[in-house]
Amino acid sequence: MDPAPGVYVGVANALAAVMLLLEFGMLRQALARDQVRLYAAQSALISVLAVVIAADRGLPDLYALAALSGGLKVVAVPYVLRRLLPGPPGRRGPGWLSRLGQDPAGWRRRDEPPGVAGSHTLSPASAVLASIALAAFGFFCLGSLRMGGLTVAATALAIAGAMTFVAFGLMIIRRDVASQAIGFFSLENAISLAALVVAAGLPLILETAFLFDLLVAVVVFGMLIRAHHGAAGSLSTADLTRLKG
Amino acid sequence: MSAALPIPVIQLLQVLTVGLGAPLVMGFIAAVEARLQGRRGPRILQPYYDLAKLCRKEALAPAGASWFFLAAPLIAVAAYLTIPLLIPVLTSFPLPLGYMGDILGGGFLLALASFVVATAALATGSPYAQLGASRAKTFSAITEPVVLFVVFTVALLTGTDLPYALAATVRSSAGEVIRPAHLLASAALFMVILHETGRIPVETHTGTSEFGMIEEARAFEHSGPYFALLKWGSMLKQLILLTILDNVFLAPWGLAASHQPGPVALAIVALLAKAGGVGVVVAVIDDSFAKLRLFKITEYASAAFLLAVIGVFTLYLGGG
Repeated sequence: MDPAPGVYVGVANALAAVMLLLEFGMLRQALARDQVRLYAAQSALISVLAVVIAADRGLPDLYALAALSGGLKVVAVPYVLRRLLPGPPGRRGPGWLSRLGQDPAGWRRRDEPPGVAGSHTLSPASAVLASIALAAFGFFCLGSLRMGGLTVAATALAIAGAMTFVAFGLMIIRRDVASQAIGFFSLENAISLAALVVAAGLPLILETAFLFDLLVAVVVFGMLIRAHHGAAGSLSTADLTRLKG
Repeated sequence: MSAALPIPVIQLLQVLTVGLGAPLVMGFIAAVEARLQGRRGPRILQPYYDLAKLCRKEALAPAGASWFFLAAPLIAVAAYLTIPLLIPVLTSFPLPLGYMGDILGGGFLLALASFVVATAALATGSPYAQLGASRAKTFSAITEPVVLFVVFTVALLTGTDLPYALAATVRSSAGEVIRPAHLLASAALFMVILHETGRIPVETHTGTSEFGMIEEARAFEHSGPYFALLKWGSMLKQLILLTILDNVFLAPWGLAASHQPGPVALAIVALLAKAGGVGVVVAVIDDSFAKLRLFKITEYASAAFLLAVIGVFTLYLGGG
């Protein structure tokens, strides 16, 4: 019926669709480490998308942005997140590591933090169905804007809308601080995707400023994760319901 | 140029290719799987020997089973052998009988075959065959929405529901290959095929534990030539589904565009090679994942559903 848009637009749309699928993957993924991996993959895809758009539209700025965003969101943020996630209570690293002072407060890199697995409030299949509904809402909301004159198809923009809603869904459905942080960061990915699609020619300095906003969020969420873990001994926010008056 | 083949011959060749090639593809996948596990594995031709051996054996029916028990394998195989007439197996242009049914028609035939096998399993009174039949029906009900959404994608992409039309659309430009709706629908269909052919992560294909069985358990009470027909039927189903995936969705290239014997022969080789290629992927998945627990299969189906639904979504804004 509708002829396919060009190859570049197709690639951009397909990349956006895969990013949306990774968002669903984060929603489903039980372990925080794997969520961080999916986040890194999603961020890598957005860099690839920036390169595709740069090649398609001849915007050399975007290559720099892709490199910067890749370095920051694929390498730095996941690394920091992995360092921030606390290990199970009462378990420390090997003794020699603590003695060397390399293992402060028993934060271990390899163990799964407590309270993340099993933090689903819905059964997996219902969570997916509910998120499909959310994605449909976001998709058709942005799709109905009918923004004309876009070189990258409206589909990628609508997918960014869907991703935004699924990221919110992730933060609502999962009841642990780590997932909520990941949901927030991937929300930033969704917004970057929308920005790339709508305003690829935005000055580099602005795009960079947005990226550094993310760093602030990482620091804030890092403090929240550690503070919550220090107070509750777990990353689950289920404990917080006891604070009700 | 040699003389063109008459159309009925090509149509017969479609059925023969699928019918005789199916055990070959099954044997090839088993051989690759064994190699990946570091075993020497069975010969590639082993399924043919298995079928021949079963055909020489005595056929028994459980006491009290009706005539339907013995008729079911025949009906199932007849249904499976009709489907190659409807889908692009060898030619890129529709053959006259290709208009007998569209994608839904093929789906009905597949469902009919599965239904008669399940009914025959129920007729035996054997607990394991009944368990297999009931599970197979339950889970195919769960994957049905995925298939429907894949069909919707085809319908939205081509404006028809003819498999030939989608193959032609995919061939028409690179933009059609890369568009997300096509990629997502293909991925969803592949996941459904893994389910329908009883592969990991849904079912252990070569397993002997009855509790994990779904499709495999249905044939427990059949024996001799009837069991051979059922086994052949599941091989046929596998090759038919792989043909749909290859020749309609993933790689509708290498099909004969004329009636000449050369291109048609090439198309036979290309079809088996493409099915083998997907078979390698299936074998790798078989060897690298664990079987899902029975109640996790809904999650697998929901993932496939997600792919198909997003595929349909992306089409609604024209671009996808």
